[in-house]
This record gives sequence, C-alpha cells and structure tokens, in this order.
Amino acid sequence: MSDKTDIWQGTLALMVLKTLEAMGPLHGYGIARRVEQTSGDQLSINYGTIYPALLKLEQEGYISSEWGLSDNNRQAKFYKLTRAGRKQLARETRQWEQTTAILARFFAPAKES
Amino acid sequence: MHIRQLRVWLVRLTGLFRQKNRERELADELESHLQMHIEDNLRAGLTPVEARRQALVKLGGVEPTKEMYRRQRGLPLIETLIKDLRYGMRRLTRSPGFTLVALLSLALGIGANTAIFSLVNTALLRPLPVERPAQLVSLTNATANRIFPTFSYPNYKDLRDRNDVFDGLLAYRFAPLSLSHDGINERTWGYVVTGNYFGVLGVKPALGRMISPEDDISPGAHPVTVLSYQCWQQRFGAQPGIVGKTLIANGRNFTVIGVAPQGFFGTEIIAAPELWFPMAMQAQIEVGNDWLAKRGVENLFIQGRLKPGVSVGQAQTALSAIALQLEAEYPEINEGKRVLLSPPGMMGGVMRGAVLGFTGLLMVVVAFVLLLACTNLANLLLARATERRKEIAVRLALGASRLRIVWQLMAESMLLAIASGVLGLLLAYWLINLAVAFKPPVDVPLYFDLHIDYRVLIFTCLITLSTGVLFGLLPALQATKVDILPALKDEASAGDPPRSWWKSGLIVLQVALSLVLLVGGGLMLRALQRAQALDLGFNPQNAAEVSYDLRLQGYDSARGREFQKRLLERVRALPGVRSAGITDLAPVDLHFGRDAVFIEGQQPERATNAPRAMASRISPGYFQAMSTRLVRGRDFTEQDDSNSPPVAIINEAFARRFWPGQDPLGKRFRQGGAESPLMEVVGVVQDGKYAGLNESPQPYVCRPLSQAYAGTNTVIVRTDSDPQKLLPLIRNEVQQLDAHMPLASAKTLAERLAMPLLPARIAASLFASFGMLALALAAIGIYGIMSYSVSRRTHEIGVRVALGAQASDVLRLILGQGMTPVLIGVVLGISSALALTRLMKSLLFGMSAADPLTYTGVAALLLSVALLAAYIPARRATRIDPMQALRNE
Repeated sequence: MSDKTDIWQGTLALMVLKTLEAMGPLHGYGIARRVEQTSGDQLSINYGTIYPALLKLEQEGYISSEWGLSDNNRQAKFYKLTRAGRKQLARETRQWEQTTAILARFFAPAKES
Repeated sequence: MHIRQLRVWLVRLTGLFRQKNRERELADELESHLQMHIEDNLRAGLTPVEARRQALVKLGGVEPTKEMYRRQRGLPLIETLIKDLRYGMRRLTRSPGFTLVALLSLALGIGANTAIFSLVNTALLRPLPVERPAQLVSLTNATANRIFPTFSYPNYKDLRDRNDVFDGLLAYRFAPLSLSHDGINERTWGYVVTGNYFGVLGVKPALGRMISPEDDISPGAHPVTVLSYQCWQQRFGAQPGIVGKTLIANGRNFTVIGVAPQGFFGTEIIAAPELWFPMAMQAQIEVGNDWLAKRGVENLFIQGRLKPGVSVGQAQTALSAIALQLEAEYPEINEGKRVLLSPPGMMGGVMRGAVLGFTGLLMVVVAFVLLLACTNLANLLLARATERRKEIAVRLALGASRLRIVWQLMAESMLLAIASGVLGLLLAYWLINLAVAFKPPVDVPLYFDLHIDYRVLIFTCLITLSTGVLFGLLPALQATKVDILPALKDEASAGDPPRSWWKSGLIVLQVALSLVLLVGGGLMLRALQRAQALDLGFNPQNAAEVSYDLRLQGYDSARGREFQKRLLERVRALPGVRSAGITDLAPVDLHFGRDAVFIEGQQPERATNAPRAMASRISPGYFQAMSTRLVRGRDFTEQDDSNSPPVAIINEAFARRFWPGQDPLGKRFRQGGAESPLMEVVGVVQDGKYAGLNESPQPYVCRPLSQAYAGTNTVIVRTDSDPQKLLPLIRNEVQQLDAHMPLASAKTLAERLAMPLLPARIAASLFASFGMLALALAAIGIYGIMSYSVSRRTHEIGVRVALGAQASDVLRLILGQGMTPVLIGVVLGISSALALTRLMKSLLFGMSAADPLTYTGVAALLLSVALLAAYIPARRATRIDPMQALRNE
C-alpha cells in the first residue's frame, strides 16, 4: 500500500466517524452519500471504498454494526459509534486541528520578524 | 495503539473462519447498497437500466469491492498458504504411490540423520551433568612424542596446590569392583575420587551426603562409599534406609553415606561408575596396589573448574609453569612433561579424535543418503510438474506471478518434508531405543545416554525444512520457466533439451554412491563369512568359560594356587566335562602386553628394542580344554612346579621367528628382563588368534601357573553337551569354594567370539542397509527420469515408429539413453570404492578389500536393478501408437 492510500484511508476513517457522530446510526450507502455531500461534492469517491474502511473501523472497535430497516423499509446494515470510537474521534480531531494549524502557519504570508 | 493493532489482527485471524457466512453477509450488504442507490437514481428520473448502471459505476463494481473488502477482512497471506497446502494435500492423496515412496525415502533419510546426530549430541555437544559445565576442563599429560591422559597422585597434589587458576582440581580413577551385599556377589565398576570431587563438580546428594575432603585425609581411615542413583534403584531396590548400611567391596566393609542424584553418571561420557570411594581408600579397593605416594605411577584422570574470568589459554600457561617446576624437582619422572587442557568427559581428551572421526564418518554417510533422497524427489517432482506444463503456462499467460506458482508447487514439497520429518523422528526414536537396549558383551561400564533432547529436535526441524526447500525449489523454478506459446500448443519446445545435464549427473552420483555403500556392505558380509571359517587355533564350540579375579578378593599366591587347584578338581568332576584348564589371558580379548624375548646364546639386545611376544600363564590341561593342537613335545604337568626347572610352551610362530629351521624343543630363552628365569621349551602348539580375529600369527609363550602365579583367571571347560547348561554348575563350584567370589564373566566360548566380530557386524549392517537404501533410491531415480523423458518424447517416438522404426529400435534408443549415466556411475563407483574400502582393511579379517567377487556381484546387482527401472518406461515407449502420438499436435 502506498503512503497516499494510507493517508486517504486515515482521512476517510475520520470522515466516517464524524459523519456517524453527526447523524447517528447509518448504513454504508448513507455514509458514502453524506461524505460526498458534506464535501460539497468536491470529493468524488467510489462508494465501494467505504466498505473496507468501515470493516477496519469495526475491527478496531470504534464502530459496531447491526442489521436494521432503512427509511424505505429495506434491510440494511447500520453502523454506529462506540465509546472507544467517540474518544478516538475526539483525539483525531484534536490532532487534525493541530496539524492544519501548523500547516496553516507555513502557508500563511510571511510576516516581518 | 498496540493493543488496538493486536485486536485487529485477532479479529482478522477469526476472519479466516466461517467464510461462507461472511461472504453472504457482504453480498447482502452490497446488494442493499445498490438497491438504495438505484431507488434514489430512479427518483432522480433515470431509466431503470441507467439507474442500475450508474449505481454500479459509482460503487466501483461489485467484485472489486468484494475483493478489497476481503483483503481487509482476513489475512490474505495465510489464506493463500492454507489454500496451497490444501491443494498440495489433494495432489498428494491423488497419487498415493508417489507419496508413499517420497515419504518413506525421506523419512528414512531424516530418521537416520536424527539418530546419528543424537549420537554426536551425546558424545560431543551435551555437557556433563554437573554445575556450570562450561567451566570444567580435562587435563592431559603430554611429552614431545606422547599424549596420555593420566597423572600420578603426587603430581596431582602439586598441580592442585600450586595453581591459582582453578577453583578446584579433582582426580579420579576407574576401579574394578567385586561387590557383595545381601548374599549377592557381582562384578561392577566404581571410581576412587579425591575428597573435593563432588564439591568441585557441584553435585548434591539425592540421599545422605557425598564424599567430603574429610573422608580423604588419612589412608584407610574412612571406609565409606556413595552409590549412583541407578545402583541404588537397581541393586538395592531404592531402599529409603540405605544410608548407614554396610556393603562389601573387594573384600572390605564400606558404609554407604549417600546416593548421587539421578542423571549424574560420573565424569566420563561413556563409562558410568556405580560407586564412588574416597581416594584415601585406594589401597583397600585395589588390594595390594598402593600408589598414593608413588610419583611414577600415573593413573589418575584430572579435571578442574576454571576460576571465573580465567581463559583456557591462561590456565594452560599457568599449569605449564608448574609442570616446569615439577620437571626441575623430579627430573627422572617428569622430564619433558607438559599439561594440555581439553573439554571434559573424553578420557582426558585422548578419545576425542576417534569419536570425532567415527561420528563424522557416520554423519557424512547419512547426509549423503538424505541428499540422494532429496535429489530423487526433486526428479520425481519435476516429472510431475512437467505434466502440468500446460496448466502452468495457462496461468502464467493469464497473469499469475511466477512467484505465486513457485510457492504453490513448494507447498506440496513442504508438506511432504514435514510429514517425513515427523515419521523420521519416530524412526529415530525407535532406532535410539534399540541402540540403548543393546549391551555389548565387554567387561567395561559402558554407558551411553542417547536420547532426543531439544538440540536433536532443532536439528531435525532444520534438516526437514531444508530438505523441503532443497527438493522442492529446483523443480518449482524449472517448471515455471516455460515458454508459454509452445507449451500452450502442447509442443515440446525447441529450447528445452530432452535431458538436462544435471539430471544425468544425479543418476551418475546415485549409482556411484550406492555402489560404494553396497561394496562396503558386501565386503563386510563376505568377511564375516570368512571369519566363521577362520582358523582360530582352538575350537569355540562346546566350551564354557568363567572369569574371576583372586586379587580383588585379597588372595595371596599360596591361597590363590590352592583355590585354582581345587576349582579345577571340582570342575573336572562335573558330569559331561571332558577337560578343563585355567589361563590368565582370556582367549581373543583385548590384550596389549607383549614382553621382550631374549634367546639364550644370541646377542642380547636392549629391552627397549628387543623382539616381543605375547605371554600367558596356564594350568595343565588348558590346551586340551581349548582343543588346541600340540604340534611337538609335551603339555605341562603337575610335576612342573616351583621346585622344578622353568619350562615354557611356544607356538609355531614363535619357533619360526626365533629358531627358523631348527628344532625348538630343549632351547632356552628369557622373557621380560635379565632377572627373569631362563625357560626351556618343552612343547610347541599350533598358532591361534589371541587378541583379535584380525591379527596375523604372532609369537606366543605359555608358562605354567605353578611357576608364574597369576590371580586374574579364566577357566575354560570343554564338554560333550550344551556348554550353556554347564555355566550354573561351574558358578556353583566357585561359590562352594568362596561364597564371596564374584564372576567377572560366565559365558560360552562361542559367545565370547561374538565380541571381536561385533564391529564388523555393525559395520556390515550399517553399510548394507544404507547401500540397499541408496540402491532403492537410485532405482526410483532412474525410473522417474526415464518415465519423464519417455513422456516428453512421445511425439518424436511416434514419428520414428511412423517412419518404420521397430519396437526393438525404440527399446534400444530409450534403454541406451537411460543406461549411459548408469554405466558411468558404475565405473566411477568402482574406482571410488577401490580407493575408499582400503580404509576398512582392519575389519576384513585378512580378506582383500579389492575382492573381485564382491565387486562383480554388486555391479551386476546394480546394473540389473537399473536395467529394470529403465526397461519399464522403455517398454511403454514401444507401445506408443504413432497415430495418437502425432494427433497430439
């Protein structure tokens, strides 16, 4: 696996967690749609990539899943955040903010010293 | 974070199981995803077809998604591994013949290697059963031209007290024992040891206490003994109250003070004592032989525990300095003596070379056998892989990586290797038990603690895995190196020669090696046969022998002579006994002593380079009991005693050596030194074998026991009936005379001959079995390669037949091709065998190592087996239907 996909996977995982925090339990299709919408359709992903990401998060214990009925009365697998997932989300958010803040300083117009 | 990672791996590991359920769930989830997406698309106004198409495109395809998902779910590497192993297993069970041959040959190879390695392990790798064995070293005495492992007690004491490199220096010596307790008398072995022996070794008692320095101060003061654990268990029924009990050793009472721990077998690897005595008691143990104060009597093994931080080199330097002092102080004894250090347990290191050589040779032989098994399997696997050429080509064409296919082919060979490894280990276990149960008929405390420990297990694992790689990798690489196009068209590709050089080379090697082994075995078998017909100089049938040592029971010569006389009278009176006699040299035993001979009237030579002859002392009637022919003169009689003139009987070799062409009767000579008496020759007996079956006739002298007393006796009794039945009767007569007299041995004369034949028997069975194994392997190898080459040349042969070739032409073609490397192998094998078997000369009882019968026999056997192995595939080739072969295009 290349570094790029690693970074992408990490970012996608964070987006999934954030989406689940905002929306409550949701199925894979809903999560994928929501991620795309939230990005203002800037991000065009293959929906299929969401499933390995969900599986990985579940293996890590950050989310759990169970089968339920969708709005249209269709069987679907719903994912929801676990306690560990909430903590992880908080931690990741903090790190992300730190990283972006640092990067922002690099890209800000240089000031007089 | 790490815990999370672990959790992920565990979950993924469980992902390997219940795969069907998980697959269904994944399919359901993706299906529901698609349905939801399609519904949304329909709502957005797309046609049903377009709605579905776009949903699929957006997903990125169902199968790729599933594949991505699966990769995250389980452990892909392990999954393919399991798949490959399953596949390999299926292929193996589908050809049980091949699998059986492969398993057997490999298991034999691995088993033999494991068994031999366990010998190496015991002899060379496993430390002595003492505390911190790595610090222990053995001392060896060395002069410029001689290395011998023993020291005198005074020299030992000086080395011990003057050095500052050892935490302790201990000494010990083997002592033959006659042990009496609870009415039983037995011969066994013990050590006399210095008082610090157990302390320096760090050996703690299982019961009571060990011998301490206080027990070893004043000579004769502490008659105590320590039993080995085995001795306590087997001789004393593990009595808990053994400590404090009294037993009789060599006619003296000793108090048991303790029992050594289980597993402590002394300080030599192959000789285990049953009892330990303080060295201060040596004069009581070795009756009439007091050497504690004699600097010239060098009879003690010394071991030392190095001080922490002292290297072997430093210790050696320090000891050499002391040796120099001792040389200055006692030049007449210690001149030129130095001290060498070596690992302990090998008789002061002198045995190490022989042990290394012997085990090394065995290792090479078994390694070769294993190598043969591997090359064979490589051949067979290659032939099998060739059958799959087309399949492999298809897979390569479809984009499978070569590595992937190689690994798949390897899985099969690894399976075989591992299964054979397990079988081989079982085989080795069985062989080792067999070897341990075997007790050679010799009067030494032989003990060899063979067992499979962790080192042996590691060794077996290593050779198993490397054989798997060895015989699996090459064929796998070769098989995947296919030209895809011709392979797909089912053609033999032009670039692929019908036989590559290394395959013929393997056959040559196999044939040559099995020929060498078979010749070795054949020579040994012929030599054994010859040994049966050997002229021994006596008749081993219908005779019994018992041995005892009067000295160990404290007899002086007067009492001893009385005992000998009365025992002979009693034995001769037993029913069925025809004659009986006593000797001090048991027939065909390891005798090394030869005494200098000085002929009357001939120029006296200095004792150091005087001619020597074997000397023996016998009673009247000994030659009759042995059925040794008296060629001239007379036997000894009761009238030859200490008051009559000294007499001797010589053998024909002696007469030839010293009085060629003269009548030896009446001639006189001395044996030993100037102080020994001048003896007159009164009789000449036929030559015989005295110290071994291999010897050529050597000069031999007999004196009457009545003129030259000896306390170590063997009684030979000749009977008309079964000598075995006589043994208890003779034993009873000995007990009647002395209830405490133990017998060192009691057996038939024929049984005694088993011992000198033993090395030859062992060598014969080793060579013969390895040779047969190699022959079987070579036959399998030839068959495999021939079948392979016939199957590859079906087309060519078809063309030949179509063009009018007869069956005999085809047969000649294939056989000629197959037998060429065999013939080269035979020639190569014969020349190496001629060179190598010269080393076995000492085992052949005088037979030539270039025995033509053995060579032609073995070569004929090998050629016919090879011919048969080549004939079967060649015959198949003659039956090829040209139409079918050509249609295969």
